[in-house]
Amino acid sequence: MSHVTIETDTTASIITEHVTFHYGSAAGASSSSSERPTRDALNDVSLRVSPGECVVLCGRSGCGKTSYTRLANGLIPTFFAGELTGAHHTAGIPAGSPVDAFTPIVGSVFQNPKTQYFNADTTSELAFPCENMGMPADEIRRRLAETVRRFGIEPLLNRSVFRLSGGQKQRLAVAAATMLHPPIMVLDEPTGNLDARSIDELHGMIARLKESGTTVVIAEHRLAWCRDLADRFVVFEHGRVIGDYTARDFLVLSPETIMSMGLRALDMRPYRAVVEAKRHDVTVRNAADDETGPMLRTRMLRIGYGRRRGMIDPIGRGRPKRGEFLRDVPDLTLRAGRITALMGANGTGKSTLVRTLCGLLRPIGGAILWDGKPVRAAALTRRAFLVMQDVNYQLFADSVREELMLGLDENDSEIRRRCDRLLRDLDLETLADRHPMSLSGGEKQRTAIASALMCGKELIVLDEPTSGLDRFHMRQVGLLLQRLKRAGRIVVVVTHDEELAADWCDDVIDLDPVETSSSI
Amino acid sequence: MTAHPLALDPRTKLFLLLLANLLLFFHVHTHTEIMLVTLTLLPMLPAGRWRMALRLGATYAALVAVSCLVPADSPNPWLHLVALLAVGLRMMMPCLITGAYAFSTTKTSEFVCAMRRMRMPETIVIPCMVVIRFFPTIVQDYRQIRAAMALRGVAEGRFALVRHPMQSLEYVLVPLMMNAANVAQDLSVAALTKGLGRPGTHTSLTVIRMRPVDWLAMIVCATPLALDILGVL
Repeated sequence: MSHVTIETDTTASIITEHVTFHYGSAAGASSSSSERPTRDALNDVSLRVSPGECVVLCGRSGCGKTSYTRLANGLIPTFFAGELTGAHHTAGIPAGSPVDAFTPIVGSVFQNPKTQYFNADTTSELAFPCENMGMPADEIRRRLAETVRRFGIEPLLNRSVFRLSGGQKQRLAVAAATMLHPPIMVLDEPTGNLDARSIDELHGMIARLKESGTTVVIAEHRLAWCRDLADRFVVFEHGRVIGDYTARDFLVLSPETIMSMGLRALDMRPYRAVVEAKRHDVTVRNAADDETGPMLRTRMLRIGYGRRRGMIDPIGRGRPKRGEFLRDVPDLTLRAGRITALMGANGTGKSTLVRTLCGLLRPIGGAILWDGKPVRAAALTRRAFLVMQDVNYQLFADSVREELMLGLDENDSEIRRRCDRLLRDLDLETLADRHPMSLSGGEKQRTAIASALMCGKELIVLDEPTSGLDRFHMRQVGLLLQRLKRAGRIVVVVTHDEELAADWCDDVIDLDPVETSSSI
Repeated sequence: MTAHPLALDPRTKLFLLLLANLLLFFHVHTHTEIMLVTLTLLPMLPAGRWRMALRLGATYAALVAVSCLVPADSPNPWLHLVALLAVGLRMMMPCLITGAYAFSTTKTSEFVCAMRRMRMPETIVIPCMVVIRFFPTIVQDYRQIRAAMALRGVAEGRFALVRHPMQSLEYVLVPLMMNAANVAQDLSVAALTKGLGRPGTHTSLTVIRMRPVDWLAMIVCATPLALDILGVL
């Protein structure tokens, strides 16, 4: 008698019985892939999460795990409207109740750290849920102090959220979600674009929540970080639950089985070893100095930005102030026909370095050499291309074909032929007349790269191309990198993704440790 | 977290902004305007915005000088155009100054608290919060898009925006809008799950209080305008 059980343990359990859901119109489809809307997002899903349990929902992109989290925190079917059948209760509250009813019961953390806070400063963000519940200021202050102590986030208080790193933002999001002491926490791919250290810190926070008896639901395909937290793993595919494992049963599955489910590795150690080996090789080869072919090198490069960036302390003795950044980069050699992974923790200046290499920022000191000759920033911008993490910024035209032709003479038959060839090479032929914004993330990435190749760019830099991607899509990015490599480009990938670096990159450069601008 | 003894309440700041708008509306004498501009520049100093005060003050002074120096009977039509422009800009300055002061020295939470204390309906408060939240996002997005344009070699350089305004606008606006739509959805979700839409009273951690200095500032700043309208000044 399912009805009776719903009555008895309503405090912190999630009970789903035969739920089928399908997004109405375009709602929700915009958030990820484009190939989804026709299918049911959830298809006859039955699932029970007991109080205090930690359940990891996994499966490839578009499998329904995100939709399930939206069902659990009440966004489906009220905010993301659509057709819902079956019965769902989160802590006794039925699906279809207003989102407000779920607020004190479910704390939610989302994938994108940039867009999940509403206030400009951190303290207000933490107080925000309490203010909305109408708590008196004294009570809010008490809870604030308690939360800060619980998670050790004093350094984050009273700061502009815009100046926090992705990892700090995500910790803030978790802390803010716990301010109402919800018995249930729902996290949707919280580690999407975090480095290893930030993931560790997030892990610590979730472990503390679990200890205190909170029910935790995590949708995730990066499994390594939550393997010791999970009590159960639930595997989704095409909106269905295709596997429900206890942690013990799941963790002994072979890596091949895990991969075939579209999941990322459970054990990062072998990948870490390969990355370490590749990193070592780079040092050895650079020492051997056997350089042939076109290449990009840096000499005594000093990079940075800030208010007075041109004048930042030429001797380099003063510490950079807030909003300023300055560091020296060890000499790099980037070769054509090789894929170089640029790794290192958040805040080590990877983005600043690649922006400098692409000529978007001027170096503060030192030189960048192309085939041995120094090049200026403007010349670098002409020869380099940066595929941004958010590729939406880089697509300007009304169709994929026009995107490639942008700024070029459309009547030149030679150019048209080159365009057709590129479309074919990058599997964009069938999409040539589609609007770039209607494409999936991977297709957008390929379109941006095609536009770069069309302009004859020689250095292609990709910024975190696999953040938030499942195994299958990571492989697609890997194949794309290989294609660029065969075309003889200098390929640089800024990434935290050890699987990508180990499986698909030739060289690994680790920008750690930061020797903050020590004078020479 | 105690405020500076001379820091003004957000409601006072809004009042100053209103005064500056009335100034424009009533078309007061230049000396009244100068008096009010001087008065509204003063609160920037205890807020630590002396550099901003200096810049805005200097700009205003220059505009006053230009608009006064050009003789009314000058035969040169270009000089008149310059004077016209200077007067126009000068008249906007009080609004700019009070606006810059209000927005650079007030936290979003303080504004929201002030609006709620003034019993503004949530249907006005929430859109205001969203707009304030969106500004920095748009600035960041714009920088990204300009970088992307430079890499593609479209509308490069400082003057491209002036030379091909329509084309550049399209290149900037399309990605900006597309992104804004995504951000809007994410923000709504984040705010809704945190109970922004809940009916009933919303409290505030931020404490705002009208102090004697606020009343004083309001009275002192309103005086020149009142006297001018009454025809005393």
